[in-house]
Amino acid sequence: MRSRAKWFFLEAVRGQQMHNSLDINVHHLTRVEGHGNIVVNVNSGKIEKLQWQVPEAPRFFEAMVRGHSYQDIQTIVSRICGICSITHSLASTKTVESALGLKVSEQTDKLRILMHYSEQLQSHILHIGYLAAPDFFGVPSVVPLVARAGDVVKIIVKTHRIANEWSDLLAGRTTHPVTLIPGGLTRIPTEQQLRQLQQTLKDAIPDLKTIADVVLSIAGGIPNFERPTEYVSLKQTNPSAYTFYHGGITSTDSKGSVLPIEKWHDVANEYVVEQSTAKWTKWHRDSYAVGALARFNNNAELLSPTAKDVAKVFGLAKGCCNPYMNTIAQLVECVHVVETSIAMIDELLTKGLKDEKATSTPKAGKGAGCVEAPRGILFHEYEFDKNGNCTAADICIPTNQNHANIQKDFEKLVPEIIDEGQDAVRQKLEMLVRSYDPCISCSTHMLKVQFVR
Amino acid sequence: MTDTARKNVVVIGLGNVLLSDEGIGVHIINKLSSLKRQFPFVDFIDAGTGGMNILHILECRCKAIIIDCANMGVEPGQIKKFTPDQAVSVKTLSHYSLHEQDLLQIIGMAKRLDQCPQEIVIFGIQPENTGYGQKLSRKLMNKMDDYIKLVCQELDG
Repeated sequence: MRSRAKWFFLEAVRGQQMHNSLDINVHHLTRVEGHGNIVVNVNSGKIEKLQWQVPEAPRFFEAMVRGHSYQDIQTIVSRICGICSITHSLASTKTVESALGLKVSEQTDKLRILMHYSEQLQSHILHIGYLAAPDFFGVPSVVPLVARAGDVVKIIVKTHRIANEWSDLLAGRTTHPVTLIPGGLTRIPTEQQLRQLQQTLKDAIPDLKTIADVVLSIAGGIPNFERPTEYVSLKQTNPSAYTFYHGGITSTDSKGSVLPIEKWHDVANEYVVEQSTAKWTKWHRDSYAVGALARFNNNAELLSPTAKDVAKVFGLAKGCCNPYMNTIAQLVECVHVVETSIAMIDELLTKGLKDEKATSTPKAGKGAGCVEAPRGILFHEYEFDKNGNCTAADICIPTNQNHANIQKDFEKLVPEIIDEGQDAVRQKLEMLVRSYDPCISCSTHMLKVQFVR
Repeated sequence: MTDTARKNVVVIGLGNVLLSDEGIGVHIINKLSSLKRQFPFVDFIDAGTGGMNILHILECRCKAIIIDCANMGVEPGQIKKFTPDQAVSVKTLSHYSLHEQDLLQIIGMAKRLDQCPQEIVIFGIQPENTGYGQKLSRKLMNKMDDYIKLVCQELDG
């Protein structure tokens, strides 16, 4: 599992640009906060060092859950991430249910998927608006972007708020859900609340189109870079769907075959490298990518109609291997989850909501669970003793599955842009890292202040 | 999903409860939640490590009280009350990831978007231990009643 820690100190060291030489060293002074370092040393046109380093401190979540009851695991692991806590909670709950042999009702299944969609929108819109858009507009962060493009920032903030309230309704709160338990949900929305949500989502579609128009107007800032890549994601057949929640594991190299989730170790093949404290992964090639672009490349034909239209406008088609286009794939998915949720609410309301009581009893077992986090496929695996206490846990997060691929992208990209100068190279490498929407450093946000005298 | 249910005042507890004293804001919110009846005009929100979500919690409020673990270079357990204008963040962001946020920057953004409460009060509490653990250090635990009292005084004021 990727690790994260606390207090961070970032230093950007820009060496003097020499003829045909680069010295880019964006790094952290200490290991105590989890972040990535970009290191590029080019001497007289020769690349001497080119690394994506991840010097994060371990977080020990797998050890932390050991000894805890199956009923408590979700609460603990939801704290792995402040952005995709619903995703971790769902993966965890599915894993516990797999280990204990629990089945859930169709209603629970639909409500969980609806909950999961809310987080996809939350996270994607944050990434597009707060992390990627400043690059396209040429400003350092979203804060100055308010002055530059205030109207669109307001739409992004509004859409993010809608996604948050959507999560509140289904998960009990925006972050770190409280309604998920093994076998079901502790609380379901009323039919009136679902109708209201549906209307809100219908009203959100024009806003998403506006965001798409604005992104399209600045899409010229997306670097034109391609590298043939293996893309790994969930794939659902019978019934087929653009999935974030059900299905098995596939890749663009799998020739249509789908592996059961229990085989995830054969996919991830985690290994360690000297330049990173986070584990790396590889499957058919020496690296693979996960995330929105991976899901798109494996499932694009199953997108909702408007989502397909958005993809088309951007020229995004299956087989795209420009990692910077991951942000556009996220935008397409925003439209997809909203449009699909509108239809799903209709299905729930047509059947009518029923009060259901989830029950479970402890037993020994082992299980694996998987969902698509906004930033890619996520695996959880637990083992329980006869009292239902956790004896072993293994978690493989999407960002770790992207590290090797980022390194391989660096190795192809830098020689192609080496003549563009140090600042341009640095900017494109940072943008590349951001395009993967990495999940780094959300374990704490602790204030670090000095008082104004 | 409207603002009608939104109360004028919000108390926001921030922190990661798996990192001992780092979760102090959330622990205080959990205690304060039992006083809901005493403060019917107040929303008490455990915002965890919610990052940008704080922006939405601040919206459409008259006053916000934010409680957070803060490295202020003072004695562990000490609580300091300050406004956003009285402090500058010395936290540096890499902007690689959505998972890093700076509370003071978020407040600044809320101001620019004209979504900021007129009054924001921050209670910073200096941690003793921010290592792994679900319990507060004894030092902070022993001061919990003092912290609650201060927040209640702020609400009464």
